[in-house]
Amino acid sequence: MALLQGTLDLIVLRALTAMGPQHAYGLAARLEQVADQPFTLNQGTLYPALVRLEQKGWIKGTWRTTESHREAKYYAISRAGERALGRETERWRRLVGLIDKLLPRES
Amino acid sequence: MWRWRRFWLRLDRFLRPGRAERELAREVEAHLSLIEEDFRRRGLPADEARAAARRAFGGVEQAKECQRDERSFVWLEALRQDVRHAARSLARSPGFALVVVLTLALGIGADTAIFSVVNAVLLRPLPYADADRLVRLVEQVPGSETRDGQPQRRVVFTGADLDALQDSRTLSQTAGYGLSVLIMRAPDEAVRFMAAAVSPAVFGTLGVRPLAGRLFEPQDGAPGADQVVVIGYDLWQAHFGGDPRVIGQPVSLQPLLGASRPNQAYTIVGVMPPAFHFPDGRTRAWIPSRFGAAQRAFAIARLAKGASIDAAEAEAGSILSRARGRDPQKSDAAPPVRVTLVRLQDDLVAPVRPALIVLAVAAACVLLIACANVASLLLARTAGRQREIAVRLALGAGRGRVIRHLLAESVMLSLAGGLAGTVLAIGGVELLRTLAAALSRIDLGGGVSLPRLDEVGVDGAALLFAVATSIVAGLLVGVGSALRASRPARMNALRESRAATGPGLLRVRPRGARGSLVAAQIVLATTLLVDAGLLVHSFVALAAVDLGYDPSNVLTFQVATPGDLYPDARVQAFAERLVARLRGIPGVAAAGFARQLPLVQLVDSLPLRTAPAAPAAPSASPPDIRLVSRDYLKTMGVRVIDGRGFGDGDGPGRPRVLLVNETLAHRDFAGEEPVGQSVYLGSDAEPWQIAGIVDDVREFGLDRPPEPQIFIDFRQASALGLPPFPLGPYFVVRTSGHPATLVADVRRLVRDLDAQARALNVAPMDRIVAATIARPHMYAVLVAIFAAVAVTLAAIGIFALLAYAVAQRTREIGIRLALGARRGRVVALVLSQSLIMTAIGVGAGLAAATVGARSLASLLYGLTPLDPATYFLAAVLFAVVAAVASWVPARRAAKIDPVVALRCE
Repeated sequence: MALLQGTLDLIVLRALTAMGPQHAYGLAARLEQVADQPFTLNQGTLYPALVRLEQKGWIKGTWRTTESHREAKYYAISRAGERALGRETERWRRLVGLIDKLLPRES
Repeated sequence: MWRWRRFWLRLDRFLRPGRAERELAREVEAHLSLIEEDFRRRGLPADEARAAARRAFGGVEQAKECQRDERSFVWLEALRQDVRHAARSLARSPGFALVVVLTLALGIGADTAIFSVVNAVLLRPLPYADADRLVRLVEQVPGSETRDGQPQRRVVFTGADLDALQDSRTLSQTAGYGLSVLIMRAPDEAVRFMAAAVSPAVFGTLGVRPLAGRLFEPQDGAPGADQVVVIGYDLWQAHFGGDPRVIGQPVSLQPLLGASRPNQAYTIVGVMPPAFHFPDGRTRAWIPSRFGAAQRAFAIARLAKGASIDAAEAEAGSILSRARGRDPQKSDAAPPVRVTLVRLQDDLVAPVRPALIVLAVAAACVLLIACANVASLLLARTAGRQREIAVRLALGAGRGRVIRHLLAESVMLSLAGGLAGTVLAIGGVELLRTLAAALSRIDLGGGVSLPRLDEVGVDGAALLFAVATSIVAGLLVGVGSALRASRPARMNALRESRAATGPGLLRVRPRGARGSLVAAQIVLATTLLVDAGLLVHSFVALAAVDLGYDPSNVLTFQVATPGDLYPDARVQAFAERLVARLRGIPGVAAAGFARQLPLVQLVDSLPLRTAPAAPAAPSASPPDIRLVSRDYLKTMGVRVIDGRGFGDGDGPGRPRVLLVNETLAHRDFAGEEPVGQSVYLGSDAEPWQIAGIVDDVREFGLDRPPEPQIFIDFRQASALGLPPFPLGPYFVVRTSGHPATLVADVRRLVRDLDAQARALNVAPMDRIVAATIARPHMYAVLVAIFAAVAVTLAAIGIFALLAYAVAQRTREIGIRLALGARRGRVVALVLSQSLIMTAIGVGAGLAAATVGARSLASLLYGLTPLDPATYFLAAVLFAVVAAVASWVPARRAAKIDPVVALRCE
């Protein structure tokens, strides 16, 4: 299953809100885990989304050490990110509702 | 908010990619380690865990590339690569790059220089508040047509007119001004400069502020009020050392023109900023003036807000009709007054606008030729790089990317050309300054050679223009070759062996694209050559006009005496004594003085009658009267054709004699012997005897035919009632060496003779003559330079094309020679290529010139824009240049050794 364009940012923001600060691998693992059907995500595809969100100021990355004493860059959602998540979620719902109405229902 | 943040961050990552790149590498490395650790924990062996981690991550380089695109601007990154690549590829052929940069520098330099002039003079608004609403009033006088059928324009209005116009609702302010010359007397020097006598309202109308002090107030200039003056920045710097305490200082001023005032004590009340030049750049000071009801003045006005020019013209017309209708002197049948309002800026630049447009078009032609030349060179270069390009296309570069890369090269070249061109433009503007900086004196009439010259410079706008022109030119010259070279069909280049892509005998294409580019250059260059030929021809004709006197080795000057208050008799006595002393200086051949010099705008005429009671012929214009000293005509080198000149025997109490010029002799004494006849002048009842006939002198300008003229010796002139020295006497000294060597002696002599007197307006006569033709000289020099550059570029274009063709066809020519073709045939083969192209180009160029040169009509003297000799010479000149440019490649073709040519394949 391919990701719908533009949804990755929303997913990342949501995941960070739910789980707290995460590194890229943690995020990727989480996405694979929550998917209904197992979908294989090339973990590298997260990087453009991460740099985009960071440049927008919605998430912030800091280097920390993991429990296994390895270094990793942890991303945390910012205030602005939380506000943006609210806006984006709202927009996404409206969009889904609209598309839902337009598509023929399987009955 | 976040959009800006992201924009700046992306720009920052573009400019400083290093840190972001290291951070990315570290993060990806950490990510891989985490996955690997996970796999190991699940029991995979170390090496398999590493491989599995890479599989799970996906393509590391793709991920990094996507991140780079996201964190910076993709197109900027691509541009950076293109620029780097282009620079490397150009560095490999520095000769080519140099030729292209220099060619474009000439074109862009010419355009930038002319742009800075056109922008400063024609386009930029005058430095007044809301300058677009400032107008000058011009009256169209009905019933009096000038020679070219236009109604006569009258630019002066009376004080009564100005007063009446104050009631206008469409003109918010109206002010008058007149020109004046002031003599400022300081303790140790006397300075004469141009000034303006202005309505106190003039500064308010223009909307200007002083640099220091105040401007005029309504009561200034009223009779009995203190006399005040506002000085210009130049005068302030030159004679008051830029001292701000000058405000309130007294100064002694004597107006030379206009009403003379007994009281010379003025107070300086204000200083104007350096950029203020009203009415023109020569004005150094302003004095307030109430224009009396009958006094005449030029008029400017400011259009009221919301008023249109048409409405204001109509209202001003009706106001003036009413005001003058009230005048009991005028009959009630006076026709309505028609007023035209001319934008102040248009009025100021009108004399140079046609020429500047011609120059701008000429500069654009030079740039187009340079572009065509470079485009042709680039076509040849990309043709030579076909294999390289084909390889890049084959390796997956998109066509767009290849085109962009090639365009990056041409734009880089043209930006370098623009940089060099800007340096050229700065030099060009300096040259223009030198050409335009002619002697500019109010007594010589005419305006400055180039209005607003001080505002001309390669400024920010000009730099912006140079950059924009460079980019456009770079795209223009590159687009043809880029599109052509990247055509997918060109992929065939890969399939062929290197040898076969060489000049195969059957595959020599006619030089289509490059040939037409060179032909276009020839057309443009020929057109410019014709234009330059016409202007140079016209200037030479003007400079070669027989003046009727010999201006070389003549020093002219005037003398300011405290005086200008002295009675005329005293001035005349002083002049006689000075001339006697001047004759004593070693190296002085002759000396004299006169009421005015040739080209000085002072004219008085008196009707000439052959009998005391006979009326003058009504159609004949009254002759121009010139008062001169005994030796003036001899000093100036005016030839006496018949009879005699003035001599010692003439003087007060002797028979009254005068000299007439040839034009007068022909007009009024056709078929008779004028010498010895008696004539009567004006209302003078006593006769004058014609003692001699002198050669015609061009008194009013080199382009004005001589008019009937009479010379009278000062010693006998008192009966005429003409003021002898309205502008002060003009002295002339003929020297055996260069007149400049005499200047110090003259100044000393003048001071010795009268401690109060000072020499001024010291100038060699030939400089005065040159000043009157400074403008045509400037145009001819500039257009000739453009034409020379154009012809040189076109010649280089022809040469490069033929040289390339010969190089391409080396093998073919080798085979022809091997099969027995004579070398003469080979030369003819090459020359015929260029001959056909040149013939077509020159023909089309001459045809284009017949259309284009019409705009030159107003700039030409003594020839029409279709002057056949000029066209013929231009064609011959270009043919010779083209022949020379073709000869070298043709010789090279003939010298090809068939053995070498065939073996090198």
